[in-house]
Amino acid sequence: MTAEVGTVRTVRRRPDAQRAVGLGLGALVAVLTLLAPLVLDRSQLTVYILTGTAAMVTIGVSLLMGYAGQVSLGQAAYYAVGGYTAGLLAVHGTPPLLGLLAAPLVAGGLAGLVGIPILRLRGHYLAFATLAFQLILLAIVGQVDFLGGDIGLQGIPQLSLLGIQLMTAQAYAWVTWVGVAVVLLITRNIIASRPGRGLRALATSETAAESSGVPVTRYKIVVFALSAAFAGLAGGIYAFFIGYLAPGSFPVLLSFQFIVMAVVGGLGTLWGPVVGAVVITLIVQTLNDLGTRPGMPSYASGVFSYAVYAILLVVVLLFLPRGLLPAMADLVRRAFGRGRRAPAAAGTAVTVDDSTTRQPPDSP
Amino acid sequence: MSAFLSYLISGLAIGCTFALVASGFVAIHRVTRVVNFAQGTFPVVAGLTVSSMLGRGLPHGVAELIGIVLAGVIGLVVGVIAIGKRGTPTLASLVITLGLGILAYAFEIIVWGDQPVSYSMLRGAVDIGGARVAWQYFLVIGATLVTFAALGLFFTRTYLGKALSACASNPYAARLAGINPIRMGLLAFALGGLLGGLAGVLITPLQPVAFDSDVLLATSGFAAAIFGGLNSPYAALVGGLLLGVLEAFVAGYINASYQTEVAMVLIIVVMIYQASRRSTVSEEVS
Amino acid sequence: MLEVTDLVVRYGNATALDGVSLQVGEGEMVALVGPNGAGKSTLVNTLSGILRPVSGSIEVDGRLAQVPEGRQLFPDLSVADNLRLGAWRSRRRAGARDPRRIYEILPDLERMAKQPAGTLSGGQQQMVAVGRALMADPDILAVDELSLGLAPLVVADLVRHLRELNASRGTAVLLIEQNARLAFDLCERAYVLESGTITMSGSSAELSRSDAVARAYLGGLTDSEAS
Ligand SMILES: Nc1ncnc2c1ncn2[C@@H]1O[C@H](COP(=O)(O)OP(=O)(O)OP(=O)(O)O)[C@@H](O)[C@H]1O
Ligand SMILES: [Mg+2]
Repeated sequence: MTAEVGTVRTVRRRPDAQRAVGLGLGALVAVLTLLAPLVLDRSQLTVYILTGTAAMVTIGVSLLMGYAGQVSLGQAAYYAVGGYTAGLLAVHGTPPLLGLLAAPLVAGGLAGLVGIPILRLRGHYLAFATLAFQLILLAIVGQVDFLGGDIGLQGIPQLSLLGIQLMTAQAYAWVTWVGVAVVLLITRNIIASRPGRGLRALATSETAAESSGVPVTRYKIVVFALSAAFAGLAGGIYAFFIGYLAPGSFPVLLSFQFIVMAVVGGLGTLWGPVVGAVVITLIVQTLNDLGTRPGMPSYASGVFSYAVYAILLVVVLLFLPRGLLPAMADLVRRAFGRGRRAPAAAGTAVTVDDSTTRQPPDSP
Repeated sequence: MSAFLSYLISGLAIGCTFALVASGFVAIHRVTRVVNFAQGTFPVVAGLTVSSMLGRGLPHGVAELIGIVLAGVIGLVVGVIAIGKRGTPTLASLVITLGLGILAYAFEIIVWGDQPVSYSMLRGAVDIGGARVAWQYFLVIGATLVTFAALGLFFTRTYLGKALSACASNPYAARLAGINPIRMGLLAFALGGLLGGLAGVLITPLQPVAFDSDVLLATSGFAAAIFGGLNSPYAALVGGLLLGVLEAFVAGYINASYQTEVAMVLIIVVMIYQASRRSTVSEEVS
Repeated sequence: MLEVTDLVVRYGNATALDGVSLQVGEGEMVALVGPNGAGKSTLVNTLSGILRPVSGSIEVDGRLAQVPEGRQLFPDLSVADNLRLGAWRSRRRAGARDPRRIYEILPDLERMAKQPAGTLSGGQQQMVAVGRALMADPDILAVDELSLGLAPLVVADLVRHLRELNASRGTAVLLIEQNARLAFDLCERAYVLESGTITMSGSSAELSRSDAVARAYLGGLTDSEAS
């Protein structure tokens, strides 16, 4: 049951023309992303930055769930670890850049250690363990004085790069989205590599992958650590930008939010998580503005965002099970009359009910 | 000694409510293979409903019944959305229940606000070995034991209960016999809702409940259910009682702020121990 | 009794049955043989309504019950409960759920009534699977791989029961078998299914004399050479 949601199983060689279009599009997106901070105002920039950090975490979630078939319901834990690592180091006078570099390393290292026992678990056992890990971590952070306890860690200095202090939100926006680009690049290289193909085998069946020589345990741990490192980097940027951290900044709901973004965007795709993060953040932000208008009840913005996560998640899973990005790509491809539909994901185009394939093992 | 007794009894009572939540997880998972992440919603809705019904002057008994039935209806609705569409993969259903749990937040906040509520059912306490133990604890334990006995009878003695077990045991053969697995799955979801609702009705007088209490209730219930691999209601009862007592002792003798965490660490250790003894193959097949 | 016409069934893009037609008459016993992966189980699962055909038609005059490949019992339920659940479709009719009707036909089952079905031997399990199908009071019984993994003596016993059932109640049988000799012995007519299409059909006697069938299903010897 590990990898049924929209896992991509077929890698197609793209024709050169399509490749060129893809490259052009990518360059355009990159340029626009870099230019955007010049025209956004302060509060828009905040949203822009938080979208970027969410995208980084979500790329990791998507790699873990969509490619390696492992479910983590506690990814916000590593976001928190990264944040606290960077924040704590900076508060104690370490150069902020070092703190920012340490964030992904510590988060990834911790995940690697935790992963050794936890990744022996599968399916919903693993989901539970990752969720429980986050709850435990938050409880501990809330009790430890040098982390600020429940009150939080305050007075985190600004990030400085090469001796220049980043004072403006614009600068943070650039740092964040360069971070997103780096994370995307790493992910792309992994997916295209030989180990990446091993990962996909692993998502389908661990037993089969193992028997065809994929070092299953090692791969799972590495991917888990990598996804945690992405989250850690995002957390580090978040810590410097906001300047304040508390256990309450990293609720379980935040972990769910990353899953929603990954699923809505399209699991097992490179750009899907970015699309998911952008779409969800924009919608939630719009409704948030609506909810805080005068005349609205005080709970309106919270209610709106809960409802939006939930409804988007459910509707996408039921009606676009492969996610927004693959669905949009299909639409574009059909509009230009080029090519067929992308290969259907497992279980979507089969005329047979899935229960027939679920026959139990023969009884003794 | 008296402290020990009162920790033990309160731990058993809280453990009973975990076991009820857990049995809902088990009922749903056995029949549908879906882990229902909205399971924490049922006790929350029931507790909040009973509180406002009592506030409107409805008598005890009626208010509780309404709360439990409403939770059952919500269970059914969750089921319809999560598994009602033919061919929805199991993992998709699981994530859908997660989404519905979040959607419930929106409704709960609109209807009840975001403050915790409580009410009292049985007042008074009894003296046992020098410890004052509230009657409510015994009510919780008694109601839970009766419910589990009734569940046992339902699954083993009634035709409908056997059909549910059949779906759990071999869904393919159940379909051959003409048993509609989706309809049985919906029934399981409704049952899960009722069981969760009962848990909420019983626990709210002991621990105030707010819209976001579902995380802890569901996590504890899940931890209890996983003791029996999510497939045995009786193992879930044992798991729930162990977890409740463990939490009570940690809170009583060590530190109340760590009670849930210590319990969870232990559960994870147990799970990893069990997993290391099971082979990969047998798990992927089941 | 059973009339299948131009049946096409697909799994995703893979075609498992490609225009299959066959008939089973009232009270008739008909065999369907074919190699692994030919689509035999696919056919019976479609007859039972578990799979939906892409095109073609199935007409059943009366009730059809299936004894599935690999028995497919409810292992943790008792034998009696396994039998009772066979009557799910007719559960509201008086006495329909009473497994004692089956003990008259398959007396061995009465002894094991309380035992969990998963603890029985293969032959006993196959007996339960037949009994469970009979609980639906079928007019036609589709048996998928009757002899799979069973010792010859056990198979002979099951075959005897099927014959009796056919003789006493007129229950028609569609028998799917890897053991073609057994199938031809029991049934008057037979079909050969290969890669999703019927390649041969006729009386069992004719088929067992055909060279092609002999090579593929009777170990290289035609019936006349074997005897
Ligand atoms: N659930 C399924 N999904 C996809 N393909 C399937 C499924 N079940 C069967 N097939 C394919 O359909 C074809 C027919 O299979 P079927 O089980 O009907 O054969 P069979 O004749 O019963 O074989 P056997 O003698 O081994 O039981 C095979 O190629 C098989 O791989
Ligand atoms: Mg077969």
